[in-house]
Amino acid sequence: MSTLLTIVIFLPLAGALLSAFLPAGEPGQHRAIALTVSLITFFLSLGLWFGFDASPAAAEFQFETKVPWIASLGIGFHIGLDGVALLLLMLTTALTPLVVLSTWNAVQDRVKEFMIALLVLEMAMIGTFSALDLILFYVFWEALLIPMYLLIGVWGSANRIYATVKFFVYTFAASVLMLIAIIYVFFQAGGTFDYVAVRQSLNVGATAQSWLFLAFAVAFAVKVPMFPLHTWLPDAHTEAPTAGSVLLAAVLLKMGTFGFFRYAMPLFPEAALQWRGVIAVLAVIGIIYGALMSFVQTDMKRLVAYSSVSHLGFVMLGLMAITAEGLTGGVYQMLNHGVSTGALFLLVGMLYERRHTRLIVEYGGLAKRVPALAFTFVVVTLSSIGLPGTNGFVGEFLILSGTWLGRIGHAQPLAFVATIGVILGAVYMLWLVEKLFFGPLTKDENRTMPDMSWREIAIMAPLLVLIVVMGLFPQPFLTPAKPAVDRLVGRFEQADARLRAADPSRQPSVGTVQPAFAVLRPVAAPPPAETHNGTH
Amino acid sequence: MNGISANDVLALLPIIVLTIGAIAVLMSEVFLVSGKRGYQAGLAVASAVLAAIAAIAVKAQGPVFGGQATVDAFSIFITVTVCLGAGVSSLVSAGWLEARNAERGEFHALVLFASAGMVLLGMASDYLVAFIGIEVMSLATYALSAYMRRGRRPAEAAFKYFILGSFSSALFIYGAALAYGATGTTLFSGASRGGGLLLVAGLGLIAAGLAFKVAAVPFHVWTPDVYEGAPTPTTAFMAAGVKTAAFAVLARVLVAAFANQSMPGHGAFGGALASLAILTMVFGNLLALTQRSVKRMLAYSSIAHAGYLLMGIWAAGVTESRELALTGVLFYLAAYTATVIGAFAVVGTTERRGAPDEEPGDAWDLARFAGLSRRRPGLAFAMAVFLLSLAGIPPTAGFVAKLLIFKAALGAHAYGLAIIGIVTSALGAYYYLRVIVYMYMRPTEGAEDVIASPALSLGLALAAIAVVVLGIGPEPIASLARVASTSF
Repeated sequence: MSTLLTIVIFLPLAGALLSAFLPAGEPGQHRAIALTVSLITFFLSLGLWFGFDASPAAAEFQFETKVPWIASLGIGFHIGLDGVALLLLMLTTALTPLVVLSTWNAVQDRVKEFMIALLVLEMAMIGTFSALDLILFYVFWEALLIPMYLLIGVWGSANRIYATVKFFVYTFAASVLMLIAIIYVFFQAGGTFDYVAVRQSLNVGATAQSWLFLAFAVAFAVKVPMFPLHTWLPDAHTEAPTAGSVLLAAVLLKMGTFGFFRYAMPLFPEAALQWRGVIAVLAVIGIIYGALMSFVQTDMKRLVAYSSVSHLGFVMLGLMAITAEGLTGGVYQMLNHGVSTGALFLLVGMLYERRHTRLIVEYGGLAKRVPALAFTFVVVTLSSIGLPGTNGFVGEFLILSGTWLGRIGHAQPLAFVATIGVILGAVYMLWLVEKLFFGPLTKDENRTMPDMSWREIAIMAPLLVLIVVMGLFPQPFLTPAKPAVDRLVGRFEQADARLRAADPSRQPSVGTVQPAFAVLRPVAAPPPAETHNGTH
Repeated sequence: MNGISANDVLALLPIIVLTIGAIAVLMSEVFLVSGKRGYQAGLAVASAVLAAIAAIAVKAQGPVFGGQATVDAFSIFITVTVCLGAGVSSLVSAGWLEARNAERGEFHALVLFASAGMVLLGMASDYLVAFIGIEVMSLATYALSAYMRRGRRPAEAAFKYFILGSFSSALFIYGAALAYGATGTTLFSGASRGGGLLLVAGLGLIAAGLAFKVAAVPFHVWTPDVYEGAPTPTTAFMAAGVKTAAFAVLARVLVAAFANQSMPGHGAFGGALASLAILTMVFGNLLALTQRSVKRMLAYSSIAHAGYLLMGIWAAGVTESRELALTGVLFYLAAYTATVIGAFAVVGTTERRGAPDEEPGDAWDLARFAGLSRRRPGLAFAMAVFLLSLAGIPPTAGFVAKLLIFKAALGAHAYGLAIIGIVTSALGAYYYLRVIVYMYMRPTEGAEDVIASPALSLGLALAAIAVVVLGIGPEPIASLARVASTSF
């Protein structure tokens, strides 16, 4: 069973190698290989999904493989999945075949290289979520930049070179300090890069922990991206080809939040408690700022990109609340954002393929011409703004309630301002839908626009199903995350207890405030949240 | 000290093989009737590979020639790195020289002679032997940089190299004289016995002489001009081989010097070395940033890489991180050899060939790389691999090398040094990636054909495979380096 994860990681690479040996003049072959390989990878990863044991007694990391890699340096090939990594891995393997399908007609130039880059990217993404060795993680984390750099730079639109260089330099420069921090951790943890061993034996003082946390946090914050480190994102998203935008939004940004969840927070809990206030405030600023920026965009891709800044702000806020609800909501919102923003970028890509413009004013009144596309767009939009019954609602609700009840400084104002962000989000997204699909059909070019093809329906149908299923039946997706969330909360409770032992006047800072505000909950909590009440 | 023993001769075997190879190439040139010179590169490659095999096969461990040279795992590692580097660069030169109708036996003979000097440097544990090694290596490389007597540039480069190189040799030998005066011996290990200002001054001069050779800032001014003016395969060979050999000597001298904790100025010496490393990393990277000529950019980048290696050498001076640091330096040298030879080889294949007397100033302009991925996908991919390795991005050899060096620096508690190093290396990503931008993301601009030669392709493929293998499976080489680092 443990070799399954290794196969899932490296199967896309095998597909890329196979493609490399086939002639470039046969684009059909390369498309077929990429689709087949990514589909097989998805079906194999279903084995991980069904084989995962989410009971509290089960091992924290499952499907573990641990073999020496560079033994003389203490680096091992150690992989394994907890529930959160599993969910993100499933998101990756499920989206990749859809992305390959979406490029069927859109990419005509250098198809071979495109598919190779896409498959290598998939491998690196899966590897990043699966790694349990700090250096192995870093290798996947950095190696991922190369295919993404090429995807944006080679197949992007007009301003692609500026965008891709900015993307690379931002993320690379932010990550190198993490490498120094990783090596420092190696020495402080008794000479190992193994994540599990490091987490157990890391022993550093408060100041060092604070610096280490910051080195990790900056690397992750750029990827998330958190305000004010987000400026690479609108450019990269706008210039990237559809496939690049989808994977960038759906998976790459999650690597930042996943990094907080897996590395920065559990390795340095005291420092995380120290810095959570700053991060939470930045997250809330990001929510509002991203929403306000979305209002003024004339380019629909840029609009969706800024909405990502806003949505990822929610995720970070949920993580920083350090309550079971907040963390669960943060994890769930990672998936939601992956599904709904991924779907939005796919839809925007479909419109772009038809008209070759991203300007919102070039559209209008499309609903009559392309009813299926319009319907899909509306459903995805509703999910993105968190309408009850869609997946977005569950995540946002958990985050906001988790923050409100959290023992973070200024919890209620933070939650309140974030809630304004929800409203703003609804306004700009519905405004976008209105501009694109309703009102009079003014542009002649749009009168002949074809509706969704069967291929496009095949791409969108699984995502629509996911949006509804995750909205109405969130439990199967919350269950795997629960043990990981509980363990993280447990780690923070221990850290908090240590801090309080050292400073008896310190108030508890982890967990939920009880019971004064709990009274409000039956009023505020609609059905989906009740299914979650068991988590704490 | 009574005569030469069999052990001494065995220890010299790699050098003997290289020298015989060089003489054979030279002699065959005299009796050549056909004018076909393809075999010469083959002979050079064969000699280099044989020398590497000889170094591994001969089990003559320990001090030889009365302790003036040492054969140990360290010297074997250096020998093999240098010889394989020479072999690959001979493959590259074969195609390059053929395309320019410039094949001559002297070229390959000089490469082999220079390699013999480098191998000797790897074994030297005495100032005089080191000096002989430096001179054998340098005289050959001076001549190699003037090999293409076309236009002003090569002559200027060679002359500059010769003058400054002689100056640095003079510094070295003067320093050796002072050290002899202070300790009564020319052995490196003498530094642990003596003391006093005289020894510090001597070691300082020796270090300065070697700093010239490794192109450390502020002793680097010759590097860009020489690297740019020399024939490109020669540049590749120099960047790899000279650096490896000079760092080998530097490691041995400084480890011996740092072993003497009681030496006055011990701390200042370490401080000077650290400053040298910082200056080299910062200025090497900053100056590379502004270059449009890829060859010149790689020249500055080789300065920057000398900075990272100096950081490793500095860490080797701290007892608790010595093993880690030397492992890092050795691995870095092996990784850098494969990477830089490959990178310069690609530069050599794409450079613009003017008329014989013309000096194309834009021969290595970034524009030469525009659209390369469409014209020659394999070549562009290999170059991308080399550039990623130079930038230290996984999964390439350059990443593992940087990881080892930074690990050593942190092991020696040099946090500031490590942070400056990592930040400057992030800077490096920008100018390396710029070449990838041109190769993959810009359309071809009036391109001439690039050189196509089987030998060159083989050399490039070997270098690229080495870079990837060292990046993905570095364990065998890393553990060899580790063994080598414990040998002295």
